[in-house]
Amino acid sequence: MQSDAERQEIRGKIKEAASRQDAESTVRYGRELMETSGKPSDAMFCASAFAGIADAMKEQLGTRRLKAYVVRSVTVEPMVAFLATEAVLSNYFLDIQVGGYGSYIDEMLSPQSALAKFNPDTVFVLLDMEEMAGRLPELCADGIGAGVEEEIDQCVERVAQLLKRFRSGCSARILFQGLVVPDQTSLGDVGEANLPYSLTNAVLTLNRKLATLCRTLSDCVFFDVDRLAARYGRARWRDTRMFLASRLPVSAEVFRIYSHGLVRSFSALYRAPRKVLCTDLDNTLWGGVLGEDGPDGIATGSAFPGNCYLEYQKHLKQLSSRGILLAIVSKNNVADVREAFQLRAADLALNLDNFVASKISWNEKSDAIRELAQELSLGLDSFVFVDDNPVECEAVRRELPEVAVVEAPVQEPWKLVSMLSEQPFFDSAVVTEDDANRLNEYKAQAQRAELASSAGNRDEFLASLGIVCIFQSALQAPLSRAVQLLAKTNQFNLTTRRHSAAEVEEFASAAGGQAVVVRVRDRFGDAGVVGLALARKQGDSCYIDSLLLSCRVIGRGIETALLAHIGEQALRAGAKRLVGEFIATKKNAPCATFYSDHGFSRSALLEETQPGSIFYELDLTVSAPTSPKWITLEGNETHELSTSAVFSA
Amino acid sequence: MSSQQVPSSLRDILADILEVSPEQVTPDLSMSTADNWDSFRHLQAILAIEGEYGVQFDPQRIPDLTSVSLLQTELEKKGVAF
Repeated sequence: MQSDAERQEIRGKIKEAASRQDAESTVRYGRELMETSGKPSDAMFCASAFAGIADAMKEQLGTRRLKAYVVRSVTVEPMVAFLATEAVLSNYFLDIQVGGYGSYIDEMLSPQSALAKFNPDTVFVLLDMEEMAGRLPELCADGIGAGVEEEIDQCVERVAQLLKRFRSGCSARILFQGLVVPDQTSLGDVGEANLPYSLTNAVLTLNRKLATLCRTLSDCVFFDVDRLAARYGRARWRDTRMFLASRLPVSAEVFRIYSHGLVRSFSALYRAPRKVLCTDLDNTLWGGVLGEDGPDGIATGSAFPGNCYLEYQKHLKQLSSRGILLAIVSKNNVADVREAFQLRAADLALNLDNFVASKISWNEKSDAIRELAQELSLGLDSFVFVDDNPVECEAVRRELPEVAVVEAPVQEPWKLVSMLSEQPFFDSAVVTEDDANRLNEYKAQAQRAELASSAGNRDEFLASLGIVCIFQSALQAPLSRAVQLLAKTNQFNLTTRRHSAAEVEEFASAAGGQAVVVRVRDRFGDAGVVGLALARKQGDSCYIDSLLLSCRVIGRGIETALLAHIGEQALRAGAKRLVGEFIATKKNAPCATFYSDHGFSRSALLEETQPGSIFYELDLTVSAPTSPKWITLEGNETHELSTSAVFSA
Repeated sequence: MSSQQVPSSLRDILADILEVSPEQVTPDLSMSTADNWDSFRHLQAILAIEGEYGVQFDPQRIPDLTSVSLLQTELEKKGVAF
């Protein structure tokens, strides 16, 4: 601990800031005092300092003021100052009233009770085992469990009745605390672990059932205090002396941890989780500096210290799977980053597709985050920024105070994951399927927005890739690959018609028909046959029956080149009009605007004949699509640039 | 050491807990003279003092430690050097 002089100095600063009604400084020093000392007298000191600036906090920090009623069967009074202090550090000002011992049923259900008169915004229900399931220790003593399940079910039923009846008469949000698994029992560690109805198993089952119950109630969160106790150490969680003497449920040394956990749990009732994590790359997502160490020199993968970064990547991927969007915000060269993700793919837990957007440039990071917020139509208070550079972190804190900033510990990379987990940003008591599917939805949005806003940079980047498209008849390339693409491609597939090989051959051999595949390579390698288009000619119109592209290569202009190629061939065959068709599926939203993006207009007339299809048309004599200038084309005539072709030439 | 003067560390803890100014914390201040000093504040004060000096009181003695000087004497008995 720091010296008493330092502690007095911080206290002096708190007093001084509070007397100026400077909420930000008071809270900042309060946090410092709690983090460096955090003794009961410090909590008391902070709580009274904070109480004196309640209005200033509301005005200056937007602190949420809540009336909280504590329903309890244990002694909580010595913890109230900690609870109030921890709440302020999470930007809540709690007006706390504590109910009587053991009178919780009356308090919760009687319309004349002290609780009802207090009219709380939130109620903390803190009952201990004796109150909730007092017979359990006895019933579990033999570990084989006659009556244990019944007792658990009865307890859950009693709590259900209590909470449901409370809910029907009061709209206050509820935090319901579970039980702590007792550390020592007569069965001992071996019996507790092995016997089916040990008290440990019974309490865990009861907690699980109580959590399930809380899920069924509106505005109710389950506070798993056992999880906190286990993390800290159950043996030290309770001070038996004080529990027996004063019915104090937790030891004084964990008041702060307990209060912090309780505040964190009830916050889920009031705050939506943040939605986007922006990560830096160098010394954050991987070790080292890409621009200096090169793609082979950066640290990532299964060996230490690369695995510290791999752990972080895995953590991000897990966040992503429940709907937290990931974005790259890095000062780097785009092409280098692409190269690193490609060359080190086997050592990385994430690929570029896992990110909703990337801001890789030499611009200010705060600008990049602001752009992201706009592109994704999300508030800055939905963002978390992770970076190892203290200067970047400070700049973002200063420019965008709404953004939560985590400074990656560059000397101790193994700590980053736990630093993130300690923060409540992403806490959520509910996850829906919509959340889990969020990435694709936002990705499409971000891509379109970025396309519109930074076409210049994008062209430069794409030009740097040196993309070459080779168009071939589907009959010249392996036909099976064309059929496989038709069968497998979902995202960038405009009609999702699963044609057979014979049908592809028909398109190819019909007069004016086209069956074209596109093979792509760039300076990093050959991607193979990745796209296909099928078209037929009727009168002066060329109808595009199918057009698809493997999702690996979307967004590089290859789809445009393919369309331009079809347009060219159609003109050559004497067509004047190009007709496109789109059939929406669950998965092909990324290409929904493909034709309108390329200057086509809706053709309502055709749609009457084919419900489910949206038709577009383009007058080829006025404006034929052109291939992006960054793509080098190698057409049908030259076939492939194979070694043999070079020799024969 | 005489109880005439309350050690500053003890004085500050009690001032925080009882929400009075440090000057008001005299050796004579007790549960019967301080308005604020009820049984919950007492428990709070005990916990705060234990945490501060790294000691543990015998729960049976706790209800008797009802004044500043009694607390101070008990701490001195436990070897706390102010």
